[in-house]
Amino acid sequence: MNTSNITRRHFFQDCAVGTGKIALASLLAESAYGVTQSPNVTAPTHFPPKAKAVIHMFMAGAPSQLELFDNKPMLTKYEGKPLPPSIIGGQRYAFIRPDAAVLGPRFKFAKHGQCGAELSEMLPHLASVVDDIAIVKSCRTTQFNHAPAQIYMNTGFSQPGRPSMGSWITYGLGAETRDLPSFVVMSTGSGISGGAACWSSGFLPSVYSGTRFRNTGDPILNVSTPQGIEAGTQRDTIELINAMNQRRLKLDGDSETGTRIANYEMAYRLQSSAPELMDLTKEDEATLKMYGCDPKVPSCARACLLARRMVERGVRFFNIYNEGWDAHSDVAGNVKKNCGITDQASAALIKDLKQRGLLDSTLVVWGGEFGRTPMVEASVSLGRSLGRDHHPQAFTMWMAGGGIKGGVTLGATDEMGFNIIEDETHVADLQATILHCLGIDHERLTFSKAGLDFKLTGVEPCHVIKQILA
Amino acid sequence: MTRHALLFCLALPAAGFAVDFNRDVRPVLAQHCFKCHGMDEQGRKGKLRLDLRDSAIGKGKSGELALVPGKPDASEVIKRVFSTDEDDVMPPPHTKSVLPESAKNILKLWIAEGAPYEAHWAYVPPKQAALPIAGVHPIDSFIQDRLTKEGLKPSAEADRFTLVRRVYLDLTGLPPTPKEADAFVNDKAPDAYDKLVDHLLASKQYGERWARRWLDLARYADTNGFEKDRPRQIWPYRDWVVKALNADMPFDQFSIKQLAGDMLPNATPDDLIATGFHRNTMLNEEGGIDPNEYRFYAMVDRVSVTGTAWMGLTMNCCQCHTHKYDPILHTDFYRTLALLNNASEPTYFIPTPEVSAQQKAQAAKIAKLEAELPAKFPGGKAAMESRFAGWIEGESHRASKWEVIRPTKMTTTMPHLEQQADGFILGSGDISKSDVYDLSFKAPIKGVRALRIEVTSHSSLPNDGPGLTNYEGPLGGFFMSEFQALQNGQRAKIARAEDTNDDEDDRINDAAASNPKAKAKAAAKKKNNAGATLDGEMSSGWQVLGGYGVQHAAVFHFEQPVDLTNGLDLKMLFEKHFACPLGHFRVSVTTSDHAEATGLPAEVEDALATGDKSKQEMLLRSFLETAPEMEQAAKPLLIARKTPPRGQATLVMEERPANNPRVTHRYYRGEYLQPKEEVTPGVPAFLPALPKDAPANRLTFAKWLFAPENPLTARVTVNRQWTSATYKQSSRITPELAQKDPENILLARGARFRLDAEVIRDSALKAAGVLSPKMGGPGVYPPQPASVTSEGTYGKVEWKTSEGEDHYRRSLYTFTKRTAPFAMATTFDAPTGESCLAKREVSNSPLQALTLLNDQMFMEAAQAMAKQVIAESKTDDERLQNIFRRVATRPAAPDELALLKVFLQKQRERKVEGEALWADVSRAALNLDEAITHP
Repeated sequence: MNTSNITRRHFFQDCAVGTGKIALASLLAESAYGVTQSPNVTAPTHFPPKAKAVIHMFMAGAPSQLELFDNKPMLTKYEGKPLPPSIIGGQRYAFIRPDAAVLGPRFKFAKHGQCGAELSEMLPHLASVVDDIAIVKSCRTTQFNHAPAQIYMNTGFSQPGRPSMGSWITYGLGAETRDLPSFVVMSTGSGISGGAACWSSGFLPSVYSGTRFRNTGDPILNVSTPQGIEAGTQRDTIELINAMNQRRLKLDGDSETGTRIANYEMAYRLQSSAPELMDLTKEDEATLKMYGCDPKVPSCARACLLARRMVERGVRFFNIYNEGWDAHSDVAGNVKKNCGITDQASAALIKDLKQRGLLDSTLVVWGGEFGRTPMVEASVSLGRSLGRDHHPQAFTMWMAGGGIKGGVTLGATDEMGFNIIEDETHVADLQATILHCLGIDHERLTFSKAGLDFKLTGVEPCHVIKQILA
Repeated sequence: MTRHALLFCLALPAAGFAVDFNRDVRPVLAQHCFKCHGMDEQGRKGKLRLDLRDSAIGKGKSGELALVPGKPDASEVIKRVFSTDEDDVMPPPHTKSVLPESAKNILKLWIAEGAPYEAHWAYVPPKQAALPIAGVHPIDSFIQDRLTKEGLKPSAEADRFTLVRRVYLDLTGLPPTPKEADAFVNDKAPDAYDKLVDHLLASKQYGERWARRWLDLARYADTNGFEKDRPRQIWPYRDWVVKALNADMPFDQFSIKQLAGDMLPNATPDDLIATGFHRNTMLNEEGGIDPNEYRFYAMVDRVSVTGTAWMGLTMNCCQCHTHKYDPILHTDFYRTLALLNNASEPTYFIPTPEVSAQQKAQAAKIAKLEAELPAKFPGGKAAMESRFAGWIEGESHRASKWEVIRPTKMTTTMPHLEQQADGFILGSGDISKSDVYDLSFKAPIKGVRALRIEVTSHSSLPNDGPGLTNYEGPLGGFFMSEFQALQNGQRAKIARAEDTNDDEDDRINDAAASNPKAKAKAAAKKKNNAGATLDGEMSSGWQVLGGYGVQHAAVFHFEQPVDLTNGLDLKMLFEKHFACPLGHFRVSVTTSDHAEATGLPAEVEDALATGDKSKQEMLLRSFLETAPEMEQAAKPLLIARKTPPRGQATLVMEERPANNPRVTHRYYRGEYLQPKEEVTPGVPAFLPALPKDAPANRLTFAKWLFAPENPLTARVTVNRQWTSATYKQSSRITPELAQKDPENILLARGARFRLDAEVIRDSALKAAGVLSPKMGGPGVYPPQPASVTSEGTYGKVEWKTSEGEDHYRRSLYTFTKRTAPFAMATTFDAPTGESCLAKREVSNSPLQALTLLNDQMFMEAAQAMAKQVIAESKTDDERLQNIFRRVATRPAAPDELALLKVFLQKQRERKVEGEALWADVSRAALNLDEAITHP
């Protein structure tokens, strides 16, 4: 079967009958890599886009909003006492009992920037760019365990099998680069609970799956020529393969053979473009310092610097997973450690994009898969104390850049930080907003499978978060 | 299963000709109208149904007639779809569903023709159709007839090299060697092709190839999925599929065994192994999940997969609501679920003659070790007897006389408890993260000072028990958080408690599992003992880890003697971040004033306490096994007792006992937290009913799938495999065919497509002459870059590359890790086993090029090929042809040979010589389009 022909045919069929679907890049299945007759295959969008690229800093494990963004002095006042059952309702928890006592915030908060947004003392670097970011304190999810919640945040469904946000976006918009994959994934922490399902293309063609960039070995699997094969031989080999395949193409007339020829050229380019991307020797001292990046050591800072380089080179969607925020014990220590890893780097990314004029066209998204409980987690047998359990009812994320209004804080939780009381923002709303910034109407980016038109944001009604749009 | 396989998936004919309801109208109504005007009562707008003719020709809420047969202009439907008024037009603008002009015209035409309805073609039992063209294979008859109508001709038969390569790849998933190809090409007999097909169908490789397709549907994998993604043992199921295909098992048997093999009369071990089909669902072992929520998801998956695999039905829409387009009700989904929902999910140890022989040998060994023990006592018989007498004297003072008491009433939050003849209570069924057991006793015993709970292993429990924990935590363990005794609702105070396993490692901290330092720290903080069940603190308690031959006890001391004639109620709470109730236990009481948890087996303690002389032999054995001076001598015996030969484990289904059926509910919007009314087991109402004289259960359902009146199963299955002369056509895509039928729906040519991931790798190994013919067994680990499993995965798993033969096994046997699948397989679109897959995507990407060019596995294949080619062939031409034919089957054409020679020359100029030179050529050959394409 010929994937590109199928999608192309369906596209033309739709056009012919005028369903009004716009010419998304499903036109060319291979456009996730920009492999095509004409360079820079990008598709027209539903409306003019603000952002061309997305950097999603996924804080896997779920950071504590109560130690970072959502200041709740009342928790200090009532520390040691349980919340009334009327607040908790029927919520299930992973580890704690709903009648656990509340725990006051472990850090001090202060107002920053012209906007006066409140941030904890653990985010001094973010404080310096707070007028560039929109903070959403009223995020909510349906999932209270890591794997399903991470998969949900990425794919809009809690179990594996659906296309991820990066896949939908590259499927919809196509590639800006012919030298790198359009959807790239890196992990800089301790392990992603949701696994490969988080960047899977689901039922979309598999070329839309995220391409993993690795910290060790080849950045892209097998991107190096094997030992013992010199560069000239590698070039000769690809030329031979393509010459033989050209002959085959003439004989059999299969367009897939043509695509394969283009893919060998692309593979050859990747062999130089991937190492070039990863090579930070040309970055100046000031830049490295701003990120806190040691070029030789894999880190969140290095991934953030790579993010800017990817955006410069036309990567469409870059997912950085920084895992390790799962503070079941010692939430203070956890937040301190993880802010040490991420705060400077995240803020530097904003500054760097801005100083290079890229922030307006790049959407940066920062946050985890859910929040953490106002109640303390402590367990004698697990050796846990002063931690916080998973809290799906309320958490905080921030966005910045293309399409987003800086210096905005949206939403509020009750005085105990348990429930949202203003501007509830569901995961699907976040997804719809991300698509919106890219010029995509989330209701019209669909894929037909088994008689259903699937979309990233699912079947429940959801909305673009207008209040944070520029 | 019939072995008249092949590969054409038939699609529906495209639109054209006169209006046909099922072909032209139903898709329009389904896509644009049924959502609000279909069978779903809740979604219905304007009281109008368009899926039934009777209601469609009646009046809607507006009072207008929706359909007036023969009169499109009088039909409200036509007025509305053509309307330009935003308030009137259908579908309404807010739905963003826009009806194309062509579809509007179809509706108009259809109504003009009288608006005839037809039942959905798929739900009408298939009928024998007349053959349009006589004298050819029935499939060719239909295809050629259609091609004639389209003004097309079938392509010429493919050449013999193409044909032999195609048949080998399709039937065995491997290309022929040059020698195998020549045998067919040079066979001038008229039945040469039939002989070849028969030969390959009879080969073992046939089952290995075709099992892979079935395993895609079965979502087979070797790990549990989700965060921790721990390994599981279910490869015997994979091997069962291979064997069933190779044994030509009829498809009905093949299916019934997989769905309900455990319920067949006289079920064999193979029948049980087959039920692994629905044990391939994922298992979330992440800390703190709700196990019953994930069991619910697994059940939903089982219904959906059954729908896809056997009925070609997308049933999963109905998890949440009545189907918008197909006649499946919300309730139908849960009634089907109820049919599959009444099974336990045990681990089964496969009995084989070898295993029973091992068990006999083990029993004999234990008997021998026991008999030899007295002779091993230091100092001989006299010393032993003297020490034994002293032991009895001392232990008798420690021992208490215990009396087993049996509950008069048992209630629990979830598990099912049953009393056994020996006074033990056995748990089964579902468990939750917070389970409470309430047991009531009444016995004519006064002055009870202490109460003992014995816990021992039992073969029916996960990991042999004594607990019911079956995921995440220590398997087969339990964790008793709190323990209370009550009389007439008042607490009978317990002063203290002790147990026999205080020195046991907790092994309960998730973080500790993979980190020795954290583990040591957790062990130091150990607070888990029977005393902790009295502290009112849920997070501490008495924990016993699971395993074979576990035997422990806790003793609880009452503050005041208790009179059991007044009755006694015990409350046990089992609560943790994983479900952890007790599975096999017995309660005894004593009036003794010196009761303690002695660690002595109950019968030994009893004999000591009562001074029963008839039990001398048992006491002597107990003494010899526990005496400090016998520690070394008794070790082999104790180890032998702990390590029974069990056979290979695999995951199976087991229908629950009649006295503990699982109740199934309908779930509002498909949400686990919203169970509604109870439903009875049954099949979707629009399909033929289950037989009235059989119980509505899994087995009856499995058989029903194959009832002659069921329209679905045969149609779905046969559409996955056809054979014919159409199959033999050349796959060349002429400009005319590319224009008229780019997808090859009309089958005017052979199928040309990129090979499956497994076939690509296996073909390379066979071409290189290193493919292992070994069949079956645990998953193996071919080479792949280390970072695939070491980065971003939970616990950063190391991929330990297999050595020797297992380095080169068929890809069917590659260990499948769901969260970090084998990289090459994913790159070439193999599924991850996370969901059922009826048809694979066939992508074409630069990552595929990088894999074939640079991956160690393909480099090794090229090097192995070079060695063999150098040994087999002399001249450049011979060597080049040898390589080319291993990879592409046919000989290279002169212009291809010329290209290869140019390459050869260039490499020689680069001073590449010998094996390296020929490995370079082999490597290039393995990358050719033809090497990875079905010709």
